[in-house]
Amino acid sequence: MAGESKDCYDKDDMDVDEKDKMPPKSGVMDIDGGHLHGERSDSKLVKNIGKVVRDLRGLGFTSMAEDAYASAIFLLLKAKVHDLAGDDFRTSVLESIKGWIQAVPLQFLHALLSYLGDSFNYDSPSSGLKSPLASRPPSYPGIDAPSEALVRWKLRLEYFAYETLQDLRIAKLFEIIVDYPESTPAIEDLKQCLEYTGQHSKLVESFISALRYRLLTAGASTNDILHQYVSTIKALRTIDTAGVFLEAVGEPIREYLRGRKDTIKCIVTMLTDGTGGNSNGTGNAGDSLLEELNREEENQENSALEDGFNTDDKQAWITAASWEPDPVEADPLKGSRNHRKVDILGMIVGIIGSKDQLVNEYRVMLAEKLLNKSDYDIESEIRTLELLKIHFGESSMQKCEIMLNDLIDSKRTNSNIKATIGQASQTSTVSEDSGISLDILDATIISSNFWPPIQEEALNLPGPVDQLLSDYSRRYTEIRTPRKLLWKKNLGTVKLELQFEDREVQFMVAPVHAAIIMQFQDQTSWTSKKLAAVIGLPVDVVNRKINFWISKGIIAETMDPESDDHMFTLVENTSDVNKNSGDGGSCEELLAGDEEGEGPVASVEDQLRKEMTIYEKFIMGMLTNFGSMALDRIHNTLKMFCVADPTYDKSLQQLQSFLSGLVSEEKLEVRDGMYSLKK
Amino acid sequence: MWLLSGDAVVCLELACEDCISFLWHAVASWTWDAQDETCGICRMAFDGCCPDCKLPGDDCPLIWGSCNHAFHLHCILKWVNSQTSQAHCPMCRREWQFKE
Ligand SMILES: [Zn+2]
Ligand SMILES: [Zn+2]
Ligand SMILES: [Zn+2]
Repeated sequence: MAGESKDCYDKDDMDVDEKDKMPPKSGVMDIDGGHLHGERSDSKLVKNIGKVVRDLRGLGFTSMAEDAYASAIFLLLKAKVHDLAGDDFRTSVLESIKGWIQAVPLQFLHALLSYLGDSFNYDSPSSGLKSPLASRPPSYPGIDAPSEALVRWKLRLEYFAYETLQDLRIAKLFEIIVDYPESTPAIEDLKQCLEYTGQHSKLVESFISALRYRLLTAGASTNDILHQYVSTIKALRTIDTAGVFLEAVGEPIREYLRGRKDTIKCIVTMLTDGTGGNSNGTGNAGDSLLEELNREEENQENSALEDGFNTDDKQAWITAASWEPDPVEADPLKGSRNHRKVDILGMIVGIIGSKDQLVNEYRVMLAEKLLNKSDYDIESEIRTLELLKIHFGESSMQKCEIMLNDLIDSKRTNSNIKATIGQASQTSTVSEDSGISLDILDATIISSNFWPPIQEEALNLPGPVDQLLSDYSRRYTEIRTPRKLLWKKNLGTVKLELQFEDREVQFMVAPVHAAIIMQFQDQTSWTSKKLAAVIGLPVDVVNRKINFWISKGIIAETMDPESDDHMFTLVENTSDVNKNSGDGGSCEELLAGDEEGEGPVASVEDQLRKEMTIYEKFIMGMLTNFGSMALDRIHNTLKMFCVADPTYDKSLQQLQSFLSGLVSEEKLEVRDGMYSLKK
Repeated sequence: MWLLSGDAVVCLELACEDCISFLWHAVASWTWDAQDETCGICRMAFDGCCPDCKLPGDDCPLIWGSCNHAFHLHCILKWVNSQTSQAHCPMCRREWQFKE
């Protein structure tokens, strides 16, 4: 199809003789166009139609006659546009359509008009109405000087074609954006159409309703919505360089995302994590969005040397925007606040409200990541931090920088401490009691004031490990006096190798899991009470944590009839139990802690939740009295009444994320932006 | 297979049948070994840094006076330099001397 229409266009510049020899092509062209190209029937048809038209004119039906052939031509053109455009978004069709208009209907009209004797010379074809299609001087193959009527026809036909194609593409804009960037040609076509028709509001309305219907539904994952949002920005900014309509189109998505609990987390992951789960194909695999934006910016800087920004383009857009009779949603003032270009990152941050929240979330995620490292490799984190600094400013990222510095410092300190082992120090090097060398202990040493709050659990580590820790501390103080270490015993990672009679299994676990399993070396059976006492944790916590080992087939659980307590026993031999999951020799890596879905670092949400719970009663009371309230009304009421103990100082976004927490706990419900008590 | 650096794998019990070996990566926070938590001059946490510094720890160390009061080094230096005559400890008013 595309190739064929291309032919049509390519032949545009040929003279008529050659063109006339072209065989009829598509079905549509066969019916009408074919006749035009046949050498004899061509003029015969024109003559016949011409006669009819002249007769009708003679009878006083001038406009009726013109309506008749006009509507036939428009119908034909519409079918042709649909035919050429189809659902293929990966090739541009505008040129083919223009070529076809030249080759078929204009040829016919030229013949008809000259038969009717309507044509007279048109002196300056470039003056007056100028179609933006005609970037080159209008050429009418085989027509030396087009008549004014013919020029008008050309404009009419082209406008109609542009509008038809534009409507087609707007109706499929959602799919086109899903297909972005492969669908760039369709976007380019749409851009040209809109520049000609000025019907941008159509796009805004239609696309927003498509978004509501297809994307902003409970079934869509937050990640998918975010990726579609980014694709939308990327795709539409080619059409809308000033970001005027993007502002309007993006608002429903942002509004919707603000109601989702995991939005900030997903945004941070999308921005900073190249390996992140989404394979939606934005950018290269393994490339974070931040990395992609950065590269784009560098490219733009390079090309900016040639020509900064096409201000004409922007002006044209703002003018086009102000044409709109219904600028409620697409308020040009709102969008044109001096951006030189559409700022993707800004539009993403705009979902959350402030960059501080985003930075806080990143800090929590970074802390989690760093504390779960079993080595000191932070290359990718350093890179990400550099990018974040570029976009959010160095001072915003200060704490994160210190966290990374801690890792670098820890690595150096760790090897310095190991180096003291060889040297004769005042105390003996290897702790004699256990006979274990410090080689099997590494440590991450943090500047806790700069890290997010970390949950500490008093945990009794196995004696030999405790011995190692105090040995390490002592050496630390020796080289870094007057500084000392405070162990966070529940944090860190342990690589374990368990050797049994018949198998050998490896694990990567949290200290608590290691502490539990190591108790089974001396004593292969424990009641949960006794085990809890030895580990130093509540019984229910131990019962929960030991599930990890039960699920691995390392520990078996029974009920002890005497004490009516859970009884845990080491599975010495796999043949003792029906084969469980732990295959001998395989290397299982699992960062325990993940299985419970919560790490030791208090999430931003938890922190906020803690601070907000005092207002919960107040909010519930408010909603009991008022029935339902919009977000900003709740916000303003809190501001008005909670002036002391403690003063309500949360942002609208923070309130919203707290409320969506209450919604997911089914305490509240939200409908059309109104919150009310869940019945 | 398992990456244990050779001799780093140690058995907890000699000649045990069921045996566990491990590599432990622990987490600690560092702290200045001082009686107080905050600097009496700038009121900032010792484990943080003074208002003029960005990095805690070695970049913004503590210093003790002979009276055993500790301050951020940068804070007490500023204090000492601002005094026209002999400086006194901002906490106990004793004559300020750096602890040897
Ligand atoms: Zn100070
Ligand atoms: Zn300082
Ligand atoms: Zn003093």
